[in-house]
Amino acid sequence: MESTVLSVGIDIGTSTTQLVLSRLTLQNKASSFSVPNIVISKKEIIYQSAIIFTPLMDGYTIDYPQIAQFVAQEYLNAGIDREAIQIGAIIITGETARKENAERVVQTLSHDAGDFVVATAGPDLEGILAAKGAGAGKYSKGKKAPIINLDIGGGTTNLAALDGDQVLDTACFDIGGRLIRIDPISMEVSYIAPKIKYLIHQLNIGVHEGSVLQSAKQLNPIIDVLVRVLENSVGVGERNPFFDHLITNHSFSKLDPSLVRLITFSGGVADCMEQDETQNPFIYGDIGLLLGRKLRESMIFQHKTVVHSHETIRATVVGAGSYSVTVSGSTISYTQSVLPLRNIPILRLAIEKAKLDTGKLANCIKNQLEVFRINGVLANVAIYMTGLSSPTFAQLQSCAKAIRLGADELIKNEVPLIVMTDEDIAKALGHSLFTFLPPKYPYVCIDRIRVGSGDYIDIGEPVAHAAVLPVSVKTLLFY
Amino acid sequence: MEQEKEQILSDISQINMKEQLLVPNPNNYEGYMKIKSFTPARLGLWRCGPRYKTQSVLRFRADHAAAQDSVFSSVNPELIKEMQFIAIQTLCQSKDEYLTRPDLGRRFSKENEEKIKQQITGHPKIQLVVGDGLSSAAIEANIKEIIPSIKQGLNYYDLDCEKHIFVKYCRVGVMDQVGEITDADVVCMLIGERPGLATAQSMSAYIAYRPTMGMPEMRRTVVSNIHAQGIPPVEAGAYISELLYKMLHYKKSGLDLKAVENENDN
Repeated sequence: MESTVLSVGIDIGTSTTQLVLSRLTLQNKASSFSVPNIVISKKEIIYQSAIIFTPLMDGYTIDYPQIAQFVAQEYLNAGIDREAIQIGAIIITGETARKENAERVVQTLSHDAGDFVVATAGPDLEGILAAKGAGAGKYSKGKKAPIINLDIGGGTTNLAALDGDQVLDTACFDIGGRLIRIDPISMEVSYIAPKIKYLIHQLNIGVHEGSVLQSAKQLNPIIDVLVRVLENSVGVGERNPFFDHLITNHSFSKLDPSLVRLITFSGGVADCMEQDETQNPFIYGDIGLLLGRKLRESMIFQHKTVVHSHETIRATVVGAGSYSVTVSGSTISYTQSVLPLRNIPILRLAIEKAKLDTGKLANCIKNQLEVFRINGVLANVAIYMTGLSSPTFAQLQSCAKAIRLGADELIKNEVPLIVMTDEDIAKALGHSLFTFLPPKYPYVCIDRIRVGSGDYIDIGEPVAHAAVLPVSVKTLLFY
Repeated sequence: MEQEKEQILSDISQINMKEQLLVPNPNNYEGYMKIKSFTPARLGLWRCGPRYKTQSVLRFRADHAAAQDSVFSSVNPELIKEMQFIAIQTLCQSKDEYLTRPDLGRRFSKENEEKIKQQITGHPKIQLVVGDGLSSAAIEANIKEIIPSIKQGLNYYDLDCEKHIFVKYCRVGVMDQVGEITDADVVCMLIGERPGLATAQSMSAYIAYRPTMGMPEMRRTVVSNIHAQGIPPVEAGAYISELLYKMLHYKKSGLDLKAVENENDN
């Protein structure tokens, strides 16, 4: 038994905005003699939009009406009704996420683009989606070896290290093709990003906004630094003095990138790496081609195995469309009327089955809930429990009771109770919650979800004949 | 570490083989462990000349013995008492007869039939039957977790079941006779699966709407692989409760139930 859902991905990046529509196939992989196991078995891209320059009103604010119009027009071109789109994600990336109205734009657009389209942001998530969209995860899964993808866009380079579906670490640098903008005809420099201004000052090069370049060679020392830092970012070469300066939020911290052999490149600059040397380096009005050419000669190619990526400039948007949503386990328990749920923060509890104590666990939940109190009001959270592989019935009851007691204030406020687990126990735990909650109290209890502290989740309306719920794990970091 | 070395391992099967790699100085330890994590197969055992190492041979024999034990042992009578099961027996008189005469494992004597009739009256909606089947260990490992979970799930659907039957020397087909004797709407049999080397504790549920002796096998719905490393018994119980509810609702089971569910979906 198969069913399909239509998914949209929209990427509003530093330089470009684009949209893809994907068809995801859901299939029960279990035999008829087993409990169902519904998974996303196929991901096909059915429509790709044109790539437009991200519309900005004045350099500081995103032009929302133009983006909304672009989305509506592309839906029309694709011949798809907004109502037909069941899931998807909008990601606002790179420097654009720092624009004043970024948060409002994605929130509004996520409603306008479809019923369960999630709004996301943040360099870590961008790197992960780009790596998956570029096909790095799939390649790594096939080779059973870790891989790093460098998504080099207009404003930032987002790195993600994957081992199959698993994310090992992320990193982000302020390195991109549009950090310096140059008129291709007059060779006049129209824009230099703040961090590059500092770099130019330190290198003592006489280039500033308004100056006219004699030759592209003038920029070589700058491009050199950018390429050296990119080499450093994957553990190649001696640490460049500007390494720390060019970090956006963090470099790899959980893994030693020099141990990862496989590399893929995506993003607009990955395309620039392939183009021939003879054309005007400023044909795109920026340093993308220069950066791409220098990168091709970099030591990364000698020290690592560079694998061809499936997507380059579209990697992030394909990732947003096809990889941002997972499905819950297939034996779950929920009240349909409370769905969809959006922007729910995670309260994470690691349970030690052997030491399970109802009272202590209840207190722990109660105390941790305080973190989510804003202006005296308790925000709704998803209680996420790990460590419950094949619990006894008594342990299950104990957890349900502890949740009932610990989340008493939420229940008094009549917000729907959301409980998630990593292990496959949600239907049984849901039934236990039903026993302890007030009659007809709305709740959602789902499993086979992996989230970290600090993540947010959206839970959509059921798909695949009401058997599973689509879940999107995301970060919502505007900065 | 020193202390650990001096400890005595009383049972070799306490070692989790998924976490044990016997290959000395592997080229890629993490990679090997990752491959092992996907399968219960005995990978990375290494060798001594052309033979297995002693440890691997002992473990293989221990697991094989556990599998045989679970077939040839009986469910602890204390457990049957504790769970307040109505204990009966098929026409088989011994394990040997049980293994060699499957037909006798599918029927009760007149005497046992009467025993059921006396204790279960008023044709219940749901009748649970627990059978030792080919693994008594499976029943001992899972039954105390799955039955309360089924009952709790039934409560969610405003249903209930009480007075469970335990059948010694049990084959699946005996549930059909239970159906006829009790006149229950749905009979759910929890029975020990044929043990393997990976686990001897796997249990299955066979469920049928108004089963009758000689009915086609396609009328049974099966949930297999119920054990701690497969479908956790508590979760299986919750899932079974939903199946029981659906069968009462559609008045169907097995492939008929699948067909009517698919129709409703489309």
